[in-house]
Amino acid sequence: MTRKAADNKYLHKDFHCALNLGLEYVRKHFGDDAVRDYLRQYARSFHAPLIRALRRRGLVALKEYFRNIYAEEGAPVRINCSRDELRLETDYSPAVRHIRQKGFAVSPLHGATEFAVHAAICEDTPFAFELARYDRKIGRSVQRFYRRAP
Amino acid sequence: MIACTEFIAAYSELFKFLEKKGGKKAVADFWNYLSDLYLKASLKKLVKLHGIRGCWLYWAKALNEEAADFTMELDDKAGIFKINMHYCPSKGRLLHWRHLKPYAGYCLHCDVLYRRILEPLGYCYAADFSQTDKARCSVVITRNGPGRVRLKRSSAKNR
Repeated sequence: MTRKAADNKYLHKDFHCALNLGLEYVRKHFGDDAVRDYLRQYARSFHAPLIRALRRRGLVALKEYFRNIYAEEGAPVRINCSRDELRLETDYSPAVRHIRQKGFAVSPLHGATEFAVHAAICEDTPFAFELARYDRKIGRSVQRFYRRAP
Repeated sequence: MIACTEFIAAYSELFKFLEKKGGKKAVADFWNYLSDLYLKASLKKLVKLHGIRGCWLYWAKALNEEAADFTMELDDKAGIFKINMHYCPSKGRLLHWRHLKPYAGYCLHCDVLYRRILEPLGYCYAADFSQTDKARCSVVITRNGPGRVRLKRSSAKNR
């Protein structure tokens, strides 16, 4: 069997299960705070270009980012974006759904992939983050990014 | 959400985080843990059921989903399975994201994860990681048995 990269779409959903196991490993061996620290490190490092875009272009940069990743995952998302606020609503997390489908227990800290990562993206920007609602069972969420008060 | 398309970055950062917390041993312990849990229902199950053909079935799914650039060969009768990875999508991404510094021993996780599953089932796992700086590697898995030649263990260069 010979395949070129262009022959397939890059979408290996089992990676959600591997990350979930990673979160559980850190939680069990180093504690809950270590999971948040790890996710913060990941967010500040991997999302450095997105953080720069958020500072430069505002919330529209996040809107484009979220539209793109939810489209890639094939999951619905509702995004309302103004100059001062971005509200993101999901009916489920495609990550949580896939982890459950594969028979793994979802880490009690899986929600940190939303709140810890998104809060870290907002650090040192004019914006703040709030996880307004999160349903652990399916990962349904309401998330707000908003301009900090001057 | 961390999208599955972003996982490789999260994975590499996790190895760095673990090494900072507990040294290389913490990283190795995590790889063993991941191998035991993550590959139990996939690679291990397939190889137990189908023998060396299970390797083909496992990697045919994984590498196609990862949009890898590869050639796979199976000689069922001789008990040999080969992967020639022309461009690894994981390492390729890490090299492509120039703002990220990949974990130095990133490619070694494959060696640990798969060897841990295959060797106890009676297979020899050999890999060449000498060109991982170009996101290239190769793997040869052979069924052990009378008259079969054991391959050398993986090259540890340039991981």
